[in-house]
Amino acid sequence: MKKRTVQKMILLLAALLFLAPAARAAEDGAFVFAREDSVTSFNLHTEITENNAFAIDKVFEPLVRFDEDGVVGDFLAESHEISEDGLVYTFVLRDGVRFSDGTPLTAEDVKFSLERHLEVGGPLPLEADVASIEAADARTVVITLNEAYTPFFSELANFSNGILPRDYGGRTEEEFFRSPVGTGPFAVSEWDPAGDLTFVKNEYYWREGAPDRLVYKVVDNDNQAISQLKAGEVDAVESLAYASAAEIERYAETGVIARGGWEIEELFFNTLDEHFADVHVRRALAMALNREALTRALTFGYGQAANTVLPAAIRYSTTDTVNALPFDLEAARAELALSAFPDGFATTISIASGNNVRMQEAQIVKAAGESIGIHIDINAQEIAAFRQDFRSLNYSMMINSAIADFPDADSIFAFQVDPEGFSQCYWTSYVNDEAVALMKAGQVTPDGEERARIYAALQQLLADEVPYVPLYCASRVVGVRDGVEGLTVLPNGSVDFCAPAGE
Amino acid sequence: MKRQKPARGAGRGKRTLYIGLAMMGALALAALLAPAICRYDPMEQHLELFLTPPCPAHPFGTDQLGRDMFSRVLYAARTDLIVMVLAEIVPFAVGVFLGMAAGYFGGRTEWIVALATDTFIAFPYYLLVAVVAFLTGAGMHGIFITFMLVGWLTYARVARGVTGSLRRSEWVESARLMGYSHLRIIATQIFPNVLPQAVVVLMTDMAGLLVLIVTLGYLGIGITPPAPDWGTMIAEGQYVIDSAWWLTVIPGLMVVYTGIGLSCLGDGLADLWR
Amino acid sequence: MRNTRAPQGKRQFRRWLCQALLRAALVIALVTVAVFFLIRLVPGDPAVMVLGEHAAESSIEALRGRLGLNLPPSQQFLRFLQNVFLRGDTGESIKYGVSSRDLVLRFAPVTLLLAALVSVITLASAVLLSFLAATHRDGLFDQAIRVLPAFTQGMPVFWTGLLFIQLFAVKLRWFPAGGVKPGDPGMLYGLILPAVTVSFGQIPPLVRSLRERLLEVLDADFVTTLRAAKVPRRIILFRHVLRNAVAPTLMLFSVNLSYLIGGTLVVEQVFGVRGVGKLLFEAISNRDFPLVQAVALYCAVFIVIISFLSDLIVRRIDPRTRA
Repeated sequence: MKKRTVQKMILLLAALLFLAPAARAAEDGAFVFAREDSVTSFNLHTEITENNAFAIDKVFEPLVRFDEDGVVGDFLAESHEISEDGLVYTFVLRDGVRFSDGTPLTAEDVKFSLERHLEVGGPLPLEADVASIEAADARTVVITLNEAYTPFFSELANFSNGILPRDYGGRTEEEFFRSPVGTGPFAVSEWDPAGDLTFVKNEYYWREGAPDRLVYKVVDNDNQAISQLKAGEVDAVESLAYASAAEIERYAETGVIARGGWEIEELFFNTLDEHFADVHVRRALAMALNREALTRALTFGYGQAANTVLPAAIRYSTTDTVNALPFDLEAARAELALSAFPDGFATTISIASGNNVRMQEAQIVKAAGESIGIHIDINAQEIAAFRQDFRSLNYSMMINSAIADFPDADSIFAFQVDPEGFSQCYWTSYVNDEAVALMKAGQVTPDGEERARIYAALQQLLADEVPYVPLYCASRVVGVRDGVEGLTVLPNGSVDFCAPAGE
Repeated sequence: MKRQKPARGAGRGKRTLYIGLAMMGALALAALLAPAICRYDPMEQHLELFLTPPCPAHPFGTDQLGRDMFSRVLYAARTDLIVMVLAEIVPFAVGVFLGMAAGYFGGRTEWIVALATDTFIAFPYYLLVAVVAFLTGAGMHGIFITFMLVGWLTYARVARGVTGSLRRSEWVESARLMGYSHLRIIATQIFPNVLPQAVVVLMTDMAGLLVLIVTLGYLGIGITPPAPDWGTMIAEGQYVIDSAWWLTVIPGLMVVYTGIGLSCLGDGLADLWR
Repeated sequence: MRNTRAPQGKRQFRRWLCQALLRAALVIALVTVAVFFLIRLVPGDPAVMVLGEHAAESSIEALRGRLGLNLPPSQQFLRFLQNVFLRGDTGESIKYGVSSRDLVLRFAPVTLLLAALVSVITLASAVLLSFLAATHRDGLFDQAIRVLPAFTQGMPVFWTGLLFIQLFAVKLRWFPAGGVKPGDPGMLYGLILPAVTVSFGQIPPLVRSLRERLLEVLDADFVTTLRAAKVPRRIILFRHVLRNAVAPTLMLFSVNLSYLIGGTLVVEQVFGVRGVGKLLFEAISNRDFPLVQAVALYCAVFIVIISFLSDLIVRRIDPRTRA
């Protein structure tokens, strides 16, 4: 009896060893892309989070799109025209574009898609006041606004303004979003909402260079992601922590692609808090903080210390020219002396727990506060609780990041300056009429010098008033195996897998 | 069920005990004297000394914020050991009490205690841990409450086992005949027999608790930085494990060291009291 | 801790069985109800977790309405009970939009396989080590084996896991770094490293307990008799000694296994194994109530089954427990 057991054990071991190669070669021939979270929905009008957005934009494409430098240009549209008064937008569609089921793209599809978006609203609604969307002919779409709204053009580049076939290609809505059809480079082949997703190339796609198969593999732990990348189990990793990125760069067989993005790490003050209602307190703390050193220590060279809340990669950012508060302990102490709390006070800083970088940032802010007599306790909250608290303004100061959805200054300012917006100035409850007036002027002023002047003034005002301290402009760092080519990292963090022709 | 022990076994038991005492004593002393031993404040940041490898000035290197790892490791011993000891008090007392009650009275009492035990065992462990941590916020009180809820199970099992076997013993029978109260019987006859066993279990259980504490730190729901804690230190260093091994390896070894010390203490005591 | 003092005879066995089943049902009900209310006590909004922290209040409210989260808790509980009893499901997962029961059933094989692997490794090493130790009492083997548990017991799973991945997956490339998911062809192979990591913490108490029992039994009179009767040593050890020594160890093992069912979370996290523990971790942090409920129910049922079986086995192999 005992001998048989031993035999069985040996057989089992042998079987294990034979299975071993299968584990490695499982995804042969496909491009395997490690991501933190699974794709749970393709409904472009109800989704907002990255896990879904960066899958949706592989299937549905908008009329215009931003390139790797964040410049918005024609995409499904071949050309566009904006009337002088900023009210009428005319798009001519690219010829020969087909959906992944072979049907050609028409202006009616565009009308259907955008109208559905207007109807649904959703978490990324079209903010422009749209009067009508008309299909002038099979390839011409005319959009008329009731009021001029300069960000509209950039807004259209949002993934939520992707084009789907009219009437869902004859299927029900539910069916359609289970196996979506778009003009994008990929169609969905296998999809597990709680796991991996396999795309196959759209054989009618109008651009070149897409891989035949693309696998979105869920690897939700950074450590796992780097180990799997090093071991060759995945070809690329969508997003790496900076510390891991440095590690990946050092390793012989892997490298990174970093792109300065639209995300900015900020220290937010609740201006309803008794201490942080005082502008001198906010200024003092801002001056006690060595943003350069913080950026160096925590971003491993991938971040760029920020002087304004508008990321450097977005037009009109004055990060190089704005007069931001410098790191100066003497000045900080002097500023605190002007406040209602010259002898310092005790407060807390809230962060989401489980985020290593935030934790270190909080510790640096704590040390900075202590250097001018402000005692800071770190309140590391589990993410859901953290969100609930800051959204109900139940915090004193917090570290979080802001991200532009599309490359227009208004995408940041509408969120962080407008006290009437649902975000209450990124939940700082900061109210400044002058800032609001500038923000509103920015929305209706056409692109050009005048708009630049407005946004420069707004950024200077925020730098003086510091309802939030921009810490650094974050980069998106994609990890890749050596030999992987043709990936373009877009500034919103999405990856374009089609190598542009001629490059 | 006493087994004849060869004489040399007891001698070895003592030796194990001494090793354990020495290891834990050294650690406790180092933790206690940390302010005198360490040259640097464990919280003091020198961002320019970012990830310095071990060197004479910083024998355990520095972390990402340029803090001296040697000081941090020692100060972490303070936090972790204190939390470990304090968190054991309530579960130990409650577990021993419930176990003795269940074993002594049997019947319905035993059934209820057993039901409670089974329910707690059947409750997904980390769900409980997470719920408590989320309710109380990260930090020490979360650890205390979590361990209060689950820690007593082990002691209850041991105490009930010992008590159950003593219940029908001659001493207890005769004590009952002499009209002693239940409480008195438990206190004078049962407790002295349960205690050594429970203390032996306490030693191994503390090692387990320490692992739990650092695991919570690793998961981001344990002791909150900047108070140093071995688990958080490992978590902070995990991404640079290849280039800055000292951030993960040294705190981990400290946990292992403590585990060995406690284990030796437990084994030694068990041998001694058998 | 279980009531093992059941009386003799068939009738009494039936009584024991009834009691055990009753208790099992009670335990499952208690866990389910406790989880339902506890998870709702915790601050955090499932809708914010789905839509992200920057989402507008209006879209969050809409989602809450759709999920029925604005109903009073008692009504939610009724709905939940309806779901459980009519459909045998705890509801649709908030995050993934599919049946949470199906999710658990799909991820369960990974965790069960992991638990099985851990059990095999743990039991095999525990038996082997304690035999070596007991038969070489106070010899070199015994000394070494008594020191070993001290080392492995204090090793936090996540720490050992990190080092193992670094060594065996990244440097030596013997094993995959992790990322095992249901249906992988190399699932078993990918789980070896995690299983070994977990076993490290599980082996020591078993070795300790088994060694003690073995020494006790080896000293017992009947073993001396068997020896005198020239019964081969191997047969004495395996057929007689092990059988008599195993019961208490088995109880200990079943408790360990119970912890393991709900406690594979950390190892799954470190090794990126997509099993039930990971599902639970995500479900908790996303406040995915139905999914948390499903995992809890699954764990409770499994643990109850394990403890029931181990009671049964112990009753069979060790007649003393029936006396």
